[in-house]
Amino acid sequence: MTTFIIRRLFWTIPVILLVILLTFTMMRQIQGNPFRKSERAVPEAVQRNLERKFNLDKPWYLQYAYYVKGVATYDLGPSLVLRGRTVNDIVEEHFPVSIELGLYAFLFALITGVPLGMIAALRHNTALDYGAMFFSNVGHAVPSFLVATLLIYFFALQWGDVTGLPTSGWSSWEHKILPSIALGLGPMALFARLVRGTMLETLQQDYVRTARAKGLHYRRVVGLHVLRNSLIPVVTAAGPLLGFIITGSFIIELIFNVPGIGQYFVTAVNARDYSVVMGLTVLLSVIVIGANLVVDILYGILDPRTRDART
Amino acid sequence: MALLEVRNLATHFFTREGTVRAVDGVSFALEPGKTLGIVGESGSGKSVTALSIMGLIPKPPAEIVSGDVLFEGRDLTKLSEKQLEDVRGREIAMIFQDPMTSLNPTLTIGTQITETIRRHYDVPKQQARKKAVELLEEVQIPRAADRLDDYPHRFSGGMRQRVMIAIALSCDPKLLIADEPTTALDVTVQAAVLDLLDDLRQAHEMAMILITHDMGVVAESADDIVVMYGGQIVEHASVNDLFDRPEHPYTEALLGALPQIEGEGIRTGRLTAIPGRPPDLKNPPPACRFAPRCPYANANDSCATVIPELREIRKDHWVRTAHPACERAGAREPEKVQA
Amino acid sequence: MVANPTDIREEGIAVEPGAAPASGAPLRQSNLWRDAWRRYIRNRGAVVAGSIFVLVLLYCLIAPILSPHDPNAVDFAMASQNPTWEHPFGTDKFGRDLFTRTALGGRVSMAIGFGATLAILAIGVVYGAISGFVGGRLDNGLMRFLDALYGLPYLPFAIITLAIIGKTNLWTMMVALSIASWFTAARIVRGQVITLKENDYVRAAKAVGARWYRILGRHLLPNTLGVLIIAIFLELPAVILGEAFLSFIGLGISPPDASWGAMAQEGRTVYRTHPTAIIVPSIAIATLVLCANFVADGLRDALDPRTKES
Repeated sequence: MTTFIIRRLFWTIPVILLVILLTFTMMRQIQGNPFRKSERAVPEAVQRNLERKFNLDKPWYLQYAYYVKGVATYDLGPSLVLRGRTVNDIVEEHFPVSIELGLYAFLFALITGVPLGMIAALRHNTALDYGAMFFSNVGHAVPSFLVATLLIYFFALQWGDVTGLPTSGWSSWEHKILPSIALGLGPMALFARLVRGTMLETLQQDYVRTARAKGLHYRRVVGLHVLRNSLIPVVTAAGPLLGFIITGSFIIELIFNVPGIGQYFVTAVNARDYSVVMGLTVLLSVIVIGANLVVDILYGILDPRTRDART
Repeated sequence: MALLEVRNLATHFFTREGTVRAVDGVSFALEPGKTLGIVGESGSGKSVTALSIMGLIPKPPAEIVSGDVLFEGRDLTKLSEKQLEDVRGREIAMIFQDPMTSLNPTLTIGTQITETIRRHYDVPKQQARKKAVELLEEVQIPRAADRLDDYPHRFSGGMRQRVMIAIALSCDPKLLIADEPTTALDVTVQAAVLDLLDDLRQAHEMAMILITHDMGVVAESADDIVVMYGGQIVEHASVNDLFDRPEHPYTEALLGALPQIEGEGIRTGRLTAIPGRPPDLKNPPPACRFAPRCPYANANDSCATVIPELREIRKDHWVRTAHPACERAGAREPEKVQA
Repeated sequence: MVANPTDIREEGIAVEPGAAPASGAPLRQSNLWRDAWRRYIRNRGAVVAGSIFVLVLLYCLIAPILSPHDPNAVDFAMASQNPTWEHPFGTDKFGRDLFTRTALGGRVSMAIGFGATLAILAIGVVYGAISGFVGGRLDNGLMRFLDALYGLPYLPFAIITLAIIGKTNLWTMMVALSIASWFTAARIVRGQVITLKENDYVRAAKAVGARWYRILGRHLLPNTLGVLIIAIFLELPAVILGEAFLSFIGLGISPPDASWGAMAQEGRTVYRTHPTAIIVPSIAIATLVLCANFVADGLRDALDPRTKES
């Protein structure tokens, strides 16, 4: 198991380098140097100086090397637009907010979606099953901006006197309820569908029959033998799910005016603050890669067969 | 008193396409310490019979529609799921056909043995582990203590079936149901597993129901044999009487399909030599279910109109056919012509 | 007529009735489609979803032609109306008829959706087929590359792509939406090609010396078709939602051509007083996505009967 983890850890290094290279290459293609915008008449000499300061006069592979070094030492460089601020500042200011929001959304999805899927599977082909699946299908299809808008419209505006929930902001726990639910609804629907599907499959397995034939209590059969095997695909889905949550957070943060990374990303793109755009993209990618790593290791723990296959 | 008495058991599957009468009026009894062989093709209802006894049929779509399963006088079909859980594993244990899929791949075999022990006995974990090692030694798994924390995928098919047997024995059940225990195994290990099963049955003084499609499997270890066809019992006799003087044309065909090895008696064989297909249990033949494949049935005789009863043709030999061997003109010896 | 020897031998096998495994391929195919259709028709949910899907498509195509309202005619006297007989979906804050505008928005969303989906599948097929068919070290490398990119959030990369191109229209949106979304499609195709490659009829074709492009074109890709059709209905909802997100954060194609996402963004500015303006395009998106999901499920059950019957 340890060799498996080490090997897997080792493999993420070239992956991260590759993703940085891709992002770096893409960013270099963007037309328009932020210092050469026509509105801002800067003397040629000053421009040269600025370019040298940001290493823009060096060949691309050196720039790449500098950037990788920066990422490795957690120094994402200065903002190109906001004077005196670094990308690190921006990350430190906005990132915890996004993490918090994503975490709440994930927890909401987990504690509602998994039981919903389990109930649907255990009550297969009953009204309960159909209801849960209809809800989950709709939850998966409705765009998050509608969910968010409706939540605000009803819970903050129409019934705001009763619920006391604000329409936007991120300063108190009341502010965090609606955005978390709005962001978590899609993942919740995904969890419910996945858990139901894998659980129905697992319930048919011979070893579940064996467990029952041993006289184990229904609770232990479902809770250990069925659930453990049903959760393997759910864990595998957690990687893409993170992408889902990141994408969703761009929208949700905008609607609820949450000062997170997603909202800032859009601002930075519009302001052509490329070092911020790049820093945030690399950061988000590294997080996803890290999540995939954790998923793989969890998978190895949950399914002993993969351990032997890969070590 | 019989250990197990099954009376007129009927288990049907209610599917969208119609009702499948998988088990349709099966009765037999089993004395303590004896072995009953249930033989039949796939789809004859033998596995469903076993699962009905254990209360493990998939509901829905399956349902026990009538009959009793008396185990030491208690009717298992009337028990609640909770009460049944106490019987399973403790009083009646079961092992299944495919050892590759019957063990949970994500739990160590140690866990899978000890959880059974600890479910039925109030013992500390260490003691359960000690017992598990003894069990693995008893089923002749080498280096038992070391292998306790291995996962099932590290074991071969034969070894896994031995683990299944260890699990089944873990609570000293009075009855062991073995559903095609060797079918999925290599021919070379089949005999070893069968011998082991029979030895352990004697050592633990268990009764056993041995389900198989292979007459060779039951020939050596069974006391009585039930032959099932189309959800019904077509013949029921002691092993010697059945092999010496089979009465039902289907049984004759089963035995005829066995390759005979000189001096050694009967070994293994498949049932493919019988022409025709097993009946469709959604629309079974109106009277005798074997009639469409029976060499003795005529289109205009009673086989298509009168449902044959299971009758005692001589002492302790029951058969369900209008044309038992001993009543046929010219009688006997349809197969045993040696070249 | 003279054909080269390989062709003759290959034809010989294809004609022989039921003897060689190779002849099983075309025969199995025609039955496969007929059976699949029959299974699909029996799935009530999938049929309903498919019908609604077609109805939405027809609505988007026909409604703007028949509608008496100019979709871009501003009339502040009629602004922010709730649904009436005259305006079945109400009007927006400029008094424009939402029934007509939603249909037009659907055209834009659907054009981008189908365009990007086809682009995704095209990239996926080429990448996956090469990887699966060539196999060996190349396959290993290509798959490692996919693994590396797997799960990356597409939105930042789509946004950067739009920034690179520097302008937003139908075509650039398609590029932006497909650039970071083809990984799954490539994996599916590769998996399918590898499964099929091991099939007997492909082995038989290889054994008689058929050339690789013939095996690829005649045996592998046609049999991947089913998977691809399912993939269309799996990718389409994702792309349509992606376009809506991009438009919603203000990076969509420019007015007055509005996609559903752009309409929703416009509606959001007045949602406190007139929620209809955001609800209508959102429900249109949700309907299409929901139907596509159901159609995909139905197709999967129909084309792969092994996964059916639980």
